[in-house]
Amino acid sequence: MLKELGPGLRLTILFTILTGLLYPAVMTGLSEAIFPRQSKGSLVTVNGKVVGSSLIGQPFAKPEYFHPRPSAAGNGYDATQSGASNLGPTSAKLLHGTTKMDDKKNEVVDFDGIDDRIVHYCVDNDIPYESSVPLDQFKDPRGDLDDVKLIKAFNDDKAPLVFTPKSPIPQDAVTASASGLDPHISPANAETQAARVAKARGVSTDQVKQLVPQFTERADWGFLGEPRVNVLLLNVVLDQRFPVSK
Amino acid sequence: MTLIGIAQIVIFFGIVLAITKPVGTFLYRVFEGERTFLHPIFRPLERLIYALGGIREDVEQSWIGYSASMISLSIFSFLAVYLLQRLQGHLPLNPMQFSTSKAPSFATPMTPDLAFNTAVSFMTNTNWQSYSPDAALSYLTQMAALAVQNFVSAAVGIAVAVALIRGFARHTAKTIGNFWVDVTRCTLYLLLPICILATLFFVAQGSIQNFKGPVTAQTLEGAAQTIEQGPLASQLAIKMLGTNGGGFFNANSAHPYENPTPLSNLLQMLLIFSLGAGLTYTFGKMVRDTRQGWAIFGAMAVMFLIGVFVCYWAEQRGNPMLAGAGLERTYTGSQPGGNMEGKEVRFGNAMTALFATVTTDASCGAVIGMHDSFTPIGGLVPLFNIQTDEVIFGGVGAGLYSILIYAVIAVFIGGLMVGRTPEYVGKKIEQKEVKMAIIAVLATSLVILGFTALSSIAPFAKNGYWNPPGPAAANTNNNGAHGFSEVLYAYSSGAGNNGSAFAGINANTPWYNLTIGLDMLVGRFLFIIPALAIAGSLAAKKLVPTTSGTLPTNGSLFVVLLVGTVIIVGALTYFPALSLGPIVEHFQMLNGKLF
Repeated sequence: MLKELGPGLRLTILFTILTGLLYPAVMTGLSEAIFPRQSKGSLVTVNGKVVGSSLIGQPFAKPEYFHPRPSAAGNGYDATQSGASNLGPTSAKLLHGTTKMDDKKNEVVDFDGIDDRIVHYCVDNDIPYESSVPLDQFKDPRGDLDDVKLIKAFNDDKAPLVFTPKSPIPQDAVTASASGLDPHISPANAETQAARVAKARGVSTDQVKQLVPQFTERADWGFLGEPRVNVLLLNVVLDQRFPVSK
Repeated sequence: MTLIGIAQIVIFFGIVLAITKPVGTFLYRVFEGERTFLHPIFRPLERLIYALGGIREDVEQSWIGYSASMISLSIFSFLAVYLLQRLQGHLPLNPMQFSTSKAPSFATPMTPDLAFNTAVSFMTNTNWQSYSPDAALSYLTQMAALAVQNFVSAAVGIAVAVALIRGFARHTAKTIGNFWVDVTRCTLYLLLPICILATLFFVAQGSIQNFKGPVTAQTLEGAAQTIEQGPLASQLAIKMLGTNGGGFFNANSAHPYENPTPLSNLLQMLLIFSLGAGLTYTFGKMVRDTRQGWAIFGAMAVMFLIGVFVCYWAEQRGNPMLAGAGLERTYTGSQPGGNMEGKEVRFGNAMTALFATVTTDASCGAVIGMHDSFTPIGGLVPLFNIQTDEVIFGGVGAGLYSILIYAVIAVFIGGLMVGRTPEYVGKKIEQKEVKMAIIAVLATSLVILGFTALSSIAPFAKNGYWNPPGPAAANTNNNGAHGFSEVLYAYSSGAGNNGSAFAGINANTPWYNLTIGLDMLVGRFLFIIPALAIAGSLAAKKLVPTTSGTLPTNGSLFVVLLVGTVIIVGALTYFPALSLGPIVEHFQMLNGKLF
């Protein structure tokens, strides 16, 4: 056994140099020479400033932008903490959400949950719905929906809030992706959001809808993967074509 | 299920079938020491490695010598990874300043137990990650510690498989090859050239490959977004080809930089299966009857197709509770339906189910969707794949030596049924071989079930050293049966040297790091050493001529026997545990029960 130790040590060092230092260094040199844009992260620049990467999703909340999927990466689209909710199919937290007490003993949202996201998606995009309790009861003094109240109502054991959209919502609109950085939404999700975006920008829905296909990718080679809309690239062009008056 | 979804699966399988013979033939040439088209480039380098390493190319080893060399390389591999992790704060290429006083607030310190777990994990080709790489490791640690093991541990697996094949192929021989030569040739002629091409392909698709620090972007809404960078594509290529599966980022191959397009995903899946499938042909060629290899391939293909369609069906049917809340359940062409929690839009349900099956058929463990958020049946498929020792094309090398161990058990059972001494590819299978095969199969199930049981009941004090969250079961992210599944999956993944996870579990505590570490060691070495012992024992035997009484092992009868053996051994061992996890959860989900 002892005589085997020499080659073991020497090969570990040799393989570290070959596959751990030379190989990645050479590959970096080649990649940067042949594919300079991709190797450096497919960054998107507007007026010379980096606004993101076409491959990395980023948060959008304003009505004039298309919204991405919910994200479990950090506090949402944190590209230093990629990840998913890792909640399973029988998780009450995933469906109904949870609240917690913050440092000042105020009750705040811990996890919003799919039910709460459905409410927001319907209200934001004018999707008709049925609700067992009028939504006005969940509004704060400013007239915004109070998520803590909503989550508590969905979690109520005796008489839970029942909220049902009249037409089914695309899955991707209210579920978190695996990476938390999904740059895409489904074409159906984009279609639903187009009217809101158009209204906020003071243009017709058709004008916005006409832009979507430019940023829609079909399945690769006709059969691989799914059709998808790149949210950041679409929003960049929206700002250029239909700027919001500030 | 949709036509386009089924087409993705069928076309993928067609490509695997098409590359099996060319890959297998090339592997045969490399390990028989024949000259290949790569020799003009790599032969001088190979000679240099032997010269510097003090290795005599022409001296072969007995199975004991071969095992001793394998253990020696593993020990130094472990030490190198452990030390590089512990010292990374003092070493270069650390733009996020991990393990220093300037580390970001979300960083995970590489404590001794975590570094132990990670070193074992990469040395054993498992790539279980108790840490989140985005928040823990420097570029240097990723490339010079982890990626090196992605090469070395893969080469070790293939070397062991080839040694076992030599055991079947040779007769009245004392040796089964030279470990150092097999590992070196595998790295130089096989892994490195394929990885160079694959890296460039991945970069073309959008994977990053640079040594820059993180980029800060100002988003359209005016927030700052920090986007981590690094030498990713070179590590990605070997992570897939070597069936390692350890992500450069926490989200693994779901991260858009780590898998930018469905096309890059197709290549990732092909890299996982290519060597495992090719080795079945190499086996047939080395035992001078390629039909023996195709029989093994056939058994693998049957199990693969069953698994992938069950998983796809379950994921596309989705969760009835989400449909009840108002979500679209069916695929419409403009949206995916199914179960999209923990999945990426570009991959959808079909491709994610296919990848989940492939990554656990082989002991890869990379993921493009989070298995923890799969439906219960969708998650059962990867779990059961791992528990049956990943014999479906399998980890590089590991898949072949594992299925040959099952083949030994299958012919033994067949021999008992017909009342004759079992034979396999011209060798009598006797007491020693069967004993070794049983040790291999039992050892993994013992640690999986034993540690799962312990972790379900182990009482630890809250804020104690061993498991700060309290009782070991408190580390799960889900309640009810799904929480148990998370623990069961963790130990299955460790012992199966897979590395994927029901990732909600918080495994970064000394208890989990140490027990999963032991679990991985048992799963690796108590499989490899019995396999090499079988190789040594078989190589010494005489060839027995085929007679009318020999159970043919190159036809469909044997395929059925082999598939039956794998499924029955797996089901008998794990059915009780599985019924406490995914099976009961399936019925709870159908009845709308939440935890």
